[in-house]
Amino acid sequence: MVTFDEGGNASSSTGSGFLARLFSTRHKTIGLQYLWLSLASVLVGMVLSTLLRVHASWPDTAIPFLRGLESTPERYAAVRLLHGSLMVFFVLTAAPQLGFGNFLLPLQIGAEEMAFPTLNGLSLWLTVASLAGMTASFFRPLDSGIDLWLVSAAIFSLAALLSALNFSVTTIELRTTGMTLTRMPVTAWAWFVNAILSLLIFSVLLAGCTAVLSDRLLGSNFFSTAAFLAQQPQNLVRQGSLPVLWQRLFWYFAQAEVYVAMLPCFGIITHLVATFSRKPVWKERLVVLSVCGVGVIGFCVWGYHMFATGMNPYAPLVFSVLASSLGIPAAFLLASWLGTLWDARLQFTTSVLFAIGFISLFIAGGLSGIFLARHDLARAAVSEDFVIGHFHLVMGVAATFAILAGLFFWFPKLFGCRMKETLGKAHFWLTFTGVYCIFMPMHWMGLLTQSTLLSGVQRAAVASAGASIRTFVTVATIWTVAAQLLFVVNFFGSLLRTKMAEADNPWQASTLEWSIPSPAPEVDFGGQPPVTYRGAYELVGTSPAEFAPQHLAPELLAQKAR
Amino acid sequence: MPGTTSTEEIERVIEKKDGGGGGDLPPAGGQGGGGGGDNGKKQPNRPISPGRYYTGIAIGIVSVLMFFMALASAFLVRRGGSDWIPVHIPTLLWINTVILLASSGTLELARKRLAQSDVPGFQRLWLLTTVLGIIFLLGQVAAWRILVKQGIFLASNPASSFFYIFTGAHALHLLGGVAALVYVARRNYDPAKVTRTVAAEVTSYYWHFMDALWLFLLALMYMGK
Repeated sequence: MVTFDEGGNASSSTGSGFLARLFSTRHKTIGLQYLWLSLASVLVGMVLSTLLRVHASWPDTAIPFLRGLESTPERYAAVRLLHGSLMVFFVLTAAPQLGFGNFLLPLQIGAEEMAFPTLNGLSLWLTVASLAGMTASFFRPLDSGIDLWLVSAAIFSLAALLSALNFSVTTIELRTTGMTLTRMPVTAWAWFVNAILSLLIFSVLLAGCTAVLSDRLLGSNFFSTAAFLAQQPQNLVRQGSLPVLWQRLFWYFAQAEVYVAMLPCFGIITHLVATFSRKPVWKERLVVLSVCGVGVIGFCVWGYHMFATGMNPYAPLVFSVLASSLGIPAAFLLASWLGTLWDARLQFTTSVLFAIGFISLFIAGGLSGIFLARHDLARAAVSEDFVIGHFHLVMGVAATFAILAGLFFWFPKLFGCRMKETLGKAHFWLTFTGVYCIFMPMHWMGLLTQSTLLSGVQRAAVASAGASIRTFVTVATIWTVAAQLLFVVNFFGSLLRTKMAEADNPWQASTLEWSIPSPAPEVDFGGQPPVTYRGAYELVGTSPAEFAPQHLAPELLAQKAR
Repeated sequence: MPGTTSTEEIERVIEKKDGGGGGDLPPAGGQGGGGGGDNGKKQPNRPISPGRYYTGIAIGIVSVLMFFMALASAFLVRRGGSDWIPVHIPTLLWINTVILLASSGTLELARKRLAQSDVPGFQRLWLLTTVLGIIFLLGQVAAWRILVKQGIFLASNPASSFFYIFTGAHALHLLGGVAALVYVARRNYDPAKVTRTVAAEVTSYYWHFMDALWLFLLALMYMGK
């Protein structure tokens, strides 16, 4: 964990000691530090998931952390918790928003720095503390481990709130001359809407963690009483489950957290699809409205939970309608991506492959989501494997594809050179086929072997079929995780070649971050903020005559064309 | 600003409804938000727009409000339980409320003095506000002690848990407000970063919000029992 900063500053170190660079409050350094944090987390998280799969298929093998489960069965849950915490908090929440966002938002809106750099640095180190706490909680005994995890979650909420404050103020206040809201790149829009949503939901998580911690440590009575549970509808109270109120408080956070992870990815994908199609975003206004719509509905799904005091018979229906209505902005986004890709002279870079992979996974995962959003179908579909398959496709893997797409695209801006295309494409195809082989059969497994509609005898009859699917999934997992070695080689290999000269704007992109040298220099825009003359996606080809960067004055553009 | 190109052609960014910075937004450099380490070596000291502080405090207030709303909704759900024994609110709390309301008044008077460029008068009234804030906090601690003497603890029953978390969380947030008051009075103002007027105004928003929040919480606890 000491190595966060190495690559980050390799290209821009100017004197000042290692510590000064480590604790820098610059948006670019902080963005890179978040990305390093995510890289470390995703690698550990992947190894943990492999351990879990191997254990599911061959329970008798001796695996690190999962040995001797007979005496300590809670270790299995602990491994799952660590996998989930690392992936959700430090990869899906951190990388697309805090990593790319911190580095690129000021560059894209011509701001030179975030609004409150000191708070930004504080937020980063709170995140690091939270990561350390969650990792340490894994090695603690169950009881103190949970306390430590809750404290870490509270710290993460605080960090997320500070970041969200910074992002929203920066977007509202620090846009450069000419950067009107309608000219803002969709990526910046997505970071902005996401910041507002985070601001609302992380406050709730913080309140929830405070109350639960106070119950556990100080013996207060927010959640833990039998009397309260007794008056709840029976179908909501399962034996041995968490108290209902805490579950609700957690779920209305967790439901919105899905959108927090996905929103910046929508922005990144829209941005990349347009850039590589050499076409404006199809129906850009509608896309921005959809991004806002996802934020609003995401908040309403949650707000509905908050203000519904007591469950009434219509509640499942309302919830179901709200969850399904997310399909509307999602469908608009999808239509726009496909509309932009339609008939385009698409440049098949690794980055765009990952973007298309995202779209494919988003469709596949979204379709299985319909089963879960309809409360009548959910009875058949809600089984552990089906739900795991669904949210991994639509949230986990899709978002990871968006992160990778963004990384391949912005790598020159971050480090000053491109990653290898051939290696990247091999990595893409192995991963793309791999994740489908893992998560599609998992849906099937859930419907087949864990359906609540089957009686015990019927379920036993299909159990043997389930075993062979399970083995297939495990083999696919090992293959996919192994394929990530290609990425690691490509990533670190490229870092070693950063001294090689690279064009400042290798993709002929039109947004402001490409108006300055690559890698981004010490002082953004050389202390002279750019002026924006037009929308973000006036792309119709690759020569300067054909596409119009946002910062180029009309007369200069005419000159270049000649 | 880049006056070399024909900036007249382009529409200027005027997003601030209340007439803040707008299109004349100067480059912020790295010096915002109270200074960050090694930033801004190359930039001259250009004044930064105060807009970010107003927007920042507004957004911060929304976030704090959400925190208390989550607890308030939990309170409303929870009070239906059969184990709910209402807390009798100590009379001291009403006196504390009056003190807090008075502090908002003195704060406004202080700002009026500042607008008239009467800095010593501002400092006096500002100090009075700070003292009233501290008295309120001490009063809250005294109210807790009264309850403890009656044998009502955090762990006694759900109603007492909520009483302590509402008053405790509010006190913690108000403590932040007191710290801000002290900071505004004590710091040396570099007009390139932020003026005293702006700092006082931003702090006053937070302070009044804390005031209103306390009234809301008190009403919730009084009527919701």
